[in-house]
Amino acid sequence: MIKLQNVSKIYQLGEDKVEAVNKVSLHIKAGEYCGILGSSGSGKSTLMYLIGLLDRPSSGKIIINGDDVSKLSDVELSKVRNHKIGFVFQSFNLISRFTVLENVLMPTKYTKGKLDFDVHKKAEELLKKFGIYERRNFFPNKISGGQQQRVAIARALIMNPSVIIADEPTGNLDTKTGNEIIKLLESLNKELGVTVIIVTHEKDIADRTNRRIYMKLYTGTV
Amino acid sequence: MVMPGSGFNSSSGFGAGLVGGVEFDEKDASSVSRVAGVEYTVPLYMSTVKAEAGGNETTAYLFGVNEDYFNLMNEEAEFGELFTKSDVSSKAKVAVIGSKVAEELYGDDENAIGKTVRFEGMRIKVIGVVANTGDSQHDTSIVIPYKTTFGSVNPDKTFWAIYVGVSSKEDIESVKEEIKSVLSKRYSEDDFSITEQTEILSMINQIFDILNIVLVAIGSISLVVGGIGIMNIMYATVTERTKEIGVMRAIGATERDILLQFLTESLILSVFGGLLGLIGASLTVLVVRIFFPASISLFAVIITFAISSGIGIFFGVFPARRAARLSPIEAIRYE
Repeated sequence: MIKLQNVSKIYQLGEDKVEAVNKVSLHIKAGEYCGILGSSGSGKSTLMYLIGLLDRPSSGKIIINGDDVSKLSDVELSKVRNHKIGFVFQSFNLISRFTVLENVLMPTKYTKGKLDFDVHKKAEELLKKFGIYERRNFFPNKISGGQQQRVAIARALIMNPSVIIADEPTGNLDTKTGNEIIKLLESLNKELGVTVIIVTHEKDIADRTNRRIYMKLYTGTV
Repeated sequence: MVMPGSGFNSSSGFGAGLVGGVEFDEKDASSVSRVAGVEYTVPLYMSTVKAEAGGNETTAYLFGVNEDYFNLMNEEAEFGELFTKSDVSSKAKVAVIGSKVAEELYGDDENAIGKTVRFEGMRIKVIGVVANTGDSQHDTSIVIPYKTTFGSVNPDKTFWAIYVGVSSKEDIESVKEEIKSVLSKRYSEDDFSITEQTEILSMINQIFDILNIVLVAIGSISLVVGGIGIMNIMYATVTERTKEIGVMRAIGATERDILLQFLTESLILSVFGGLLGLIGASLTVLVVRIFFPASISLFAVIITFAISSGIGIFFGVFPARRAARLSPIEAIRYE
């Protein structure tokens, strides 16, 4: 489903070249529940952004569902992100000017053409499922961190993506709430068959995944 | 046209000429009328008045003249009739009004005939309406016999100017000289001036041209300064919302989506500015209306919105482009 072939990402920092990701080849299958592990600076975030199509590799190929996406235009990449990939961030990244419901509906605003489902109904279903339906008209700064992260997951799910990429989803939460979020992601993987990729440096969380990809420090390799 | 002061074309200038000069009276008018070659002599009293009829009110120019005024100005009554020599000498309380005054006070031109108009404590009967010429001073005028103004309106029995019409063009220079010598017996030569209509027109046009250039210059500078202000605000907005832009890109917004979003914002900002300007202008016009007839044309409204949208788009493009070209990951990482 997601294939990386000899993917490298090199940053130019002043005079120095930093090889954040060095010739990584990976194959993540549909429905997998996997963790990307590594300490800070190991390049795991870069790898995640590459998989999430927010960044382009310096060399190598990224293949999603059989299509080489390395050469797609901005519009095409945006479309793939919109339809196939859901992002969950460490700092939730909800838009503070919009209510919970509006935040969940955000991705649908950037869809060109009609969707084959009722977005409002779908948003409400997700919010109900996550126990935050009563908070739908609240602004993000009026609800707790755990609730905000659940809104972010609902936003990631609204377009029925095939992959959810979570970047340190528990980083800003206490252990108990963090556990709830991880359980939620696990249940999405089990019940909906969504591929879940969690990027983390916490061993406890990584241990619960079915497959672990370790980034090695400084070398940028797996 | 004989005017007090040394006139437009001297170095003393327009304003100074009017202030320091003499005030003409009936005697001057009759001595001017006796000059050979003079066909019409029209003493002119002028002021602005608040006219009222049947509950309606309007600001109008009041002209006190004699019957020759209509010949000189080539005017005919569209409805009713003009006043005559006997109306002037009998101080008849009759008026010939411009079509705009008629519309404001009575609804339409024809309706005005025979009605009464009140201003400055006088009650005057409207006997004629002159056709619309498109000239606002002309269309908003109330013309009455000059002798009728001698009273509450013009107690000093003086005139603002004396209009003179000659029988043939060739006589203009000699008539000017003759009038000059006649009036010099009474006044010093610096205290009045004799100007031809064409000279006045070109003088006034010149003044308006200069005024226009100055206004356009000030306007353009304000537009550029305002545009740069909008650009700065938009740059600040883009920086402030960098993270948000990153998130939007992550959930599927294209570069074009982001560009359009910020362009729309700067457009709304500038059109709102244009709207405020229009409200300001309307209030100014409302105040100015008390003294002069003034209005805002539809054309001005359209131009305002066109220019303010243009400014919004022009100065919004650069910040919006910066927003659209942000790298998604750098934007998301931005704190």
